[in-house]
Amino acid sequence: MRTISIDPITRLEGHGKIEIFLDDAGAVKNAYFQVPELRGFEKFVEGMPVEEVPRVVTRICGVCPAAHHLAAGKAVDAVYHVDPPPTAKKLRELYYSAHYVHSHIAHFYALAAPDFVMGPDSDPATRNILGLVQKLGVGPVAEVIKHRALAQEIQRMVSGRATHSVWTLPGGVSKGITEDERKDIIVKAKACLEFAKGSLKLFDDVVLANKAYVDLILSDTYELDTYYIGTVDEKNHVNFYHGDHRVVDQNGKELLRYKDAEYLQHIAERVEKYSYLKFPYLKAIGWKGLTDGKDSGLYQASPLSRLNAADGMATPLAQAAYERFYATLGGKKPVKKLLATHWARLVELVYAAERLLELANDPEVASPNFRTLPTATPTEGVGIVEAPRGILTHHFKTDEKGLVTQANLIVGTTNNHGPISMAIKKAAQKVIKPGQEVGQGMLNMVEMAFRLFDPCFSCATHSLPGSMPLTVDIIDERTGTVLERVSR
Amino acid sequence: MTTKKTRLIGLGNSILTDDGVGVVVARRLQQALPMDCGLDIVESEVGGFDLMEMLVGFTHVILVDAVQFDGVAPGTIVRIKPEDLHTSLRLRSVHEIDLPTVLGLGKELGYAMPESIEIYAIQAQDMITFGERLNPCVAAAAEQVIREITAQAVS
Repeated sequence: MRTISIDPITRLEGHGKIEIFLDDAGAVKNAYFQVPELRGFEKFVEGMPVEEVPRVVTRICGVCPAAHHLAAGKAVDAVYHVDPPPTAKKLRELYYSAHYVHSHIAHFYALAAPDFVMGPDSDPATRNILGLVQKLGVGPVAEVIKHRALAQEIQRMVSGRATHSVWTLPGGVSKGITEDERKDIIVKAKACLEFAKGSLKLFDDVVLANKAYVDLILSDTYELDTYYIGTVDEKNHVNFYHGDHRVVDQNGKELLRYKDAEYLQHIAERVEKYSYLKFPYLKAIGWKGLTDGKDSGLYQASPLSRLNAADGMATPLAQAAYERFYATLGGKKPVKKLLATHWARLVELVYAAERLLELANDPEVASPNFRTLPTATPTEGVGIVEAPRGILTHHFKTDEKGLVTQANLIVGTTNNHGPISMAIKKAAQKVIKPGQEVGQGMLNMVEMAFRLFDPCFSCATHSLPGSMPLTVDIIDERTGTVLERVSR
Repeated sequence: MTTKKTRLIGLGNSILTDDGVGVVVARRLQQALPMDCGLDIVESEVGGFDLMEMLVGFTHVILVDAVQFDGVAPGTIVRIKPEDLHTSLRLRSVHEIDLPTVLGLGKELGYAMPESIEIYAIQAQDMITFGERLNPCVAAAAEQVIREITAQAVS
């Protein structure tokens, strides 16, 4: 058997690798997605005052610090048995909507768009944001940078810092916003909404108007038949900050829903000896290995899964985009085509911008009543938010002084560990054929299967890259000899 | 008022053992060097687009960061240039953009990007375990980088 190893996929936000095993005939037999999971978080926070944890966890990830900050903040509210006042909840959601705006902008334009604007098998030298500049001109890319920065500026105004906030406290937040700041946020939110609408139009013009791309999205190269999880409000509309966590089956029917504190009743984590990262699955269905279908408890947690797990969007333009999304992709739910995740991300971008504006228009966000002081003895709590890359769970137990005794996190990408591995295998099997040389375009087609999940490998390291960011090793399994190495 | 045109950015994750070495160097230099030394010192735990914004307006930038090169002993200081990081023609990060792309994009967009960038890359021993202390060999490398940069700044 030969092994094709795509290693590492990245370095800036942790590093991972894809291994593709070929049988003697050269056909893809299996594929694995591996990451070096970070170690010792529980020990690190043990003995720490639990209200310090939201400050520390922002450093777990350079990409979604706001998600960790809020999940931990909600868990700390629960530990202290305190319900934040409406202003605090609205401010947190406003801050989080701004986070979604800049996170989804960065993913779409830096990673997804180049595959479509330049083409999946285009020269890797141009298949990036610099290629977008060449193809679309400086103006549109400058708008990308501008609106991403506007959203970050809103986060800074609200929480004091654009990243690594020191803001949530048990029962609320450490600072509110002034009326002038609220008005300023309205102006910025309006600009972000216009940009989000333009991004949907770009997807229309570049992707949906191109039959080859529509065929690619609808092809069975990128398709899985899993359960879907997403957080919904009381009307079963997508919500990023609070609500019930709803799981739907392969026919779009609700399987179960749970509140934050109930997650352990529904989610279990499988440990496999070849991977440091666990594989979460639904307890109600059970672990059946890396396989999809009704009998396998694997679920997806992504923009696509959030749309599939909901009945609609809470804001008008996003709802219209949601309806069009399903009408275009076969007219029924759930959509199982994985590349549609990029489109789902843009539907969410519109929702995030609309929700941002909606909250900024609410005078209550500028109220000084942004904290309820906790009075109960701290014990245990769970906080869950929808991170851009999937549902994020923080769980802490403390002693009576509020010092952490136990901690558990299930991060966005971990939820998708099984589905990512399966998606890579499926794409590799479709793209890599026996006897054919494995080319750059083929490798990119395989990588597209993992990139659509926007995976955050180990949620952390920021080191500069140390070795070739993509090598393909073809190894004779019996002798361990590297027969061929392709690098780029 | 002196216009500071040289910036030092200590990159890293301060809670992941040796990955925090750049941040440690930045903090120590902030304490050690006088305010008017002509070196603007910041720490950063982010990269990509955010890093691009941090480079704008400075003619010379010094980056200090942890690396994991194959076959290099932990604690080794490796001097590299941004173009050395162009080991790939493709996107480096799954999330955002790599350093050469940061520089290229900034120039395309007409930003005042640095004329030169020098990089102190320190080989890490462990950057996947949560912790706020550097391993001794990495701490020693940090001391050497601090001495070199201090000598440059005061000369």
